[in-house]
Amino acid sequence: MNRRQSQDLIASILDLPHEGELQVLLNGVERLGTRFNDCAISQNVLKQQATLTLNARLEQKKTSVSINALDDQELIKRSVEQVFATCRHMPDDEEVMPALGDVLPSREHAFSESKAIEIETVGAWAAQACKAGAAAGIDLAGLLAHGKMFTAYGDSAGGFAHERYHRSDYHVTATGTNGSGWAEHQGISIAQSDVMAATRRAIDKCAEAQNPVVFEPRPVTVILEPQAVGDLMSMAFWYGFDQRAKDEGRSPFSDFDATLGRLSFYSDPADAVFPTIAFSSDGQALGKSVWLDAGKLQQLLTNRYWAHKNDLAVKPAPNNLVLSGDGTSLDDLVRSTEDGILVTRFWYIRSTDARTLGFTGMTRDGTYRIENGEVTHPVVDMRWNESVLRVLGNIVASGQPVATGEFMSMAMPALKVEDFHFSSLSN
Amino acid sequence: MFDLLKLACNTASKAGCQFADARYLSIRKQRVVSRDHALSSCSEGDDRGFGVRVLYQGAWGFAASPTYTADEIEKVVALAMRIARASALALRDGGVKWAPEAAFTLDFKSSCIQDPFRVALEDKAELLISANEVMLKNKSIKRAQGFLSFKHVERWYVNTEGSELHSDVTSSESAIWAIAVGNDDFQERNWKAPASNQGFECYRKEEFLNQAERVAAEAEEKLSARLSPEGDFDIITDSENLSLTIHESVGHATELDRVMGYEVSMAGSSFVTRDKQGDFRYGSDQVTLMADNTLENGLATQGFDDDGVPGQRWEIVRDGIFQTYSSGREFAHYIGEERSRGSCRADHWSSIPIVRIPNLFLMPGKTPLSPEALMSDVKHGLYFEGMDSFSIDQWRLNFQFGGNAVWEIKNGKKAGMLKAALYQSRTPTFWNACDATCDENYWQPHGVTNCGKGDPMQIAQMTHGAAPTRFRNIRICRGRDS
Repeated sequence: MNRRQSQDLIASILDLPHEGELQVLLNGVERLGTRFNDCAISQNVLKQQATLTLNARLEQKKTSVSINALDDQELIKRSVEQVFATCRHMPDDEEVMPALGDVLPSREHAFSESKAIEIETVGAWAAQACKAGAAAGIDLAGLLAHGKMFTAYGDSAGGFAHERYHRSDYHVTATGTNGSGWAEHQGISIAQSDVMAATRRAIDKCAEAQNPVVFEPRPVTVILEPQAVGDLMSMAFWYGFDQRAKDEGRSPFSDFDATLGRLSFYSDPADAVFPTIAFSSDGQALGKSVWLDAGKLQQLLTNRYWAHKNDLAVKPAPNNLVLSGDGTSLDDLVRSTEDGILVTRFWYIRSTDARTLGFTGMTRDGTYRIENGEVTHPVVDMRWNESVLRVLGNIVASGQPVATGEFMSMAMPALKVEDFHFSSLSN
Repeated sequence: MFDLLKLACNTASKAGCQFADARYLSIRKQRVVSRDHALSSCSEGDDRGFGVRVLYQGAWGFAASPTYTADEIEKVVALAMRIARASALALRDGGVKWAPEAAFTLDFKSSCIQDPFRVALEDKAELLISANEVMLKNKSIKRAQGFLSFKHVERWYVNTEGSELHSDVTSSESAIWAIAVGNDDFQERNWKAPASNQGFECYRKEEFLNQAERVAAEAEEKLSARLSPEGDFDIITDSENLSLTIHESVGHATELDRVMGYEVSMAGSSFVTRDKQGDFRYGSDQVTLMADNTLENGLATQGFDDDGVPGQRWEIVRDGIFQTYSSGREFAHYIGEERSRGSCRADHWSSIPIVRIPNLFLMPGKTPLSPEALMSDVKHGLYFEGMDSFSIDQWRLNFQFGGNAVWEIKNGKKAGMLKAALYQSRTPTFWNACDATCDENYWQPHGVTNCGKGDPMQIAQMTHGAAPTRFRNIRICRGRDS
């Protein structure tokens, strides 16, 4: 739905009889996801969905209703009546805030001008990747997905925002007789060359990962490739980077005044590596928010209520995460490491201790020993238990941020981290 | 409702499909969330649409739409056919091998005495806020929260074999939790009312208030708990804690699609390879793990799966020996079985069915055994209650789980709470260390409503269960440095 179509639909909904304040959020997606394994397409799904969410506010009461039939005028009318009917029964909540009423310009940071990719083209690209795996005698399994989306917001205080955007996701696991490799391409666009480049990286990683040997788990220097860094930092962000929890003593950053290394950690919809939509689901503009400035903690996620109550700036939940890097190449990170482990990716990261921002997880799909500045052999995957506060403090070098993240858009560098705690062996 | 779905199947048949099925889903949801003395949100959703899956020349195509008209049916079938042709560009040897299933009709309805969507919002607010207020009476509690979540899914299914199926399932879920702050720390303690396919009748205010008082007191106690010891100890898990361990180390490990590599790119594969079927010692002879998609009020009990196969009950592990997998019609042939176990489900009308964990539980002990008697035979160990940190590798072998509350056991009795305790093991090592489980009087079901699998991710629900169970000599580590 383009800006004009969204504006017309939202205006027609806001014109429906209602008391109090009404916020309207429209989301639409058209996404083809082609999944393959054992060098054959196993799943091919086209998702075409739209959601209309209505938020009603009556003074300090607020409720929401969502439906998926955007062309059913009767259902929309009934839903507006329903959301206010339910709202009347809500108890008051002092934290409910009125709509902003801001009209935001169309910036479309994450909109790609490249042409739509046809179903047959995606199938052909997946087939070509499968052939490359078969030629190398390696099983390939992956997902190739590309979609276009739109989000539009309007409210009865006059607010309006609309953006179209794109999202591409290709990730592939190459599995040999005794070891596997992995690679991805993430971003707002994808081409056949991106698919094949990632496929070749996964195949190469797999070839180098065969017949891993045991490295007895111990604290050691690690080089974490960008996906591992992104998985860890995104978990840490959603677990720990909340201003209110900090202020109320429920955060690893309560009474915290240390500097966490020297990298900067921020969100920016206009980021050149992985841009995203530039407004939130309640119509707030998203600018650049810095969470760590050269390692120094800044104001964390702050909703409008907490900002208003404590005279703070509002820092809404972001759509992407970026960790700065110093641009050292992966080869140079390896060359500077005498005794270490190179990690392609992490898996199943979970919190182990909220107070210290402690997490556990596994290495996966390409874990290698580094000795005297060279990758010497693959090692058996390992479990680790580590605090993100300590990881950030132990970074000694870093690469250039690249796009990563299947579940959240991120730009992350490879990191060289000292004293990383591996704790047990996997398979 | 069936007529348009039949039109979809007939259209696909005429176009030359080997098999096709069509599902229409109407999904209604409500989620009410409390924060301290208020409700922080009440969100409702109504989501309807249909999906058509076609098997054409050995390849799958799937497309879906929210617009349920004859014209749209024709378009969606054509789109699914076009996608199937694209899938055929990289076809497995001979294409999909589809297990037969006789046509049948079924109208399944889950038990729901009190429709949660007809219960006044004021009553839901009262239940949650009164529990929060009990928790907040404890001065260490700085945040009290809770939620009620309800889902009603009505599903119509038709396939080219002639099955006409309908289900009407209501699910309910709730939890409360408290965060205590003090002693240079903060700690969370929760209580989950077991999620199930039932209505609002499973929630009683008196139980919420009693649990709220306990939860607050134990959150406060966690603040001053000592750090867990490390080393090898006997452990006892309560039914909720073990439910998650069953889910991760048995449920996912025995999904046949995962074993065959269909999940390698995301959730991983499994150490339970096909050569292990029938003679692999998964656990001790105390361990019998039963799958049962007919379990009363079970979250995976929905009459039939999204391959059009009736719900079934089967043994995954019997007396410690691995028996067989959870499967769907596409996968049964890989293990020489002629029929699917009926465990393929989709989470939405726009999602394709994949093999999901069934209702799966550890059978209770056959001889009378109370939790007190179970603990009396532990000289120095740990007692894990509730779910907390959980992580397992992509083969479902190396795992590490915590508990929402953990106590030290000394000389057969609880001896104070511990902080940051985690048990770490390998799946067969762990289950072979099981030497006793309490009898059926202490067996409890627990629901999992956030099981993620597939790529793109689908979220499924199922019920697990166990009685308190003892494991000998398990590695204990800490999630926090001393």
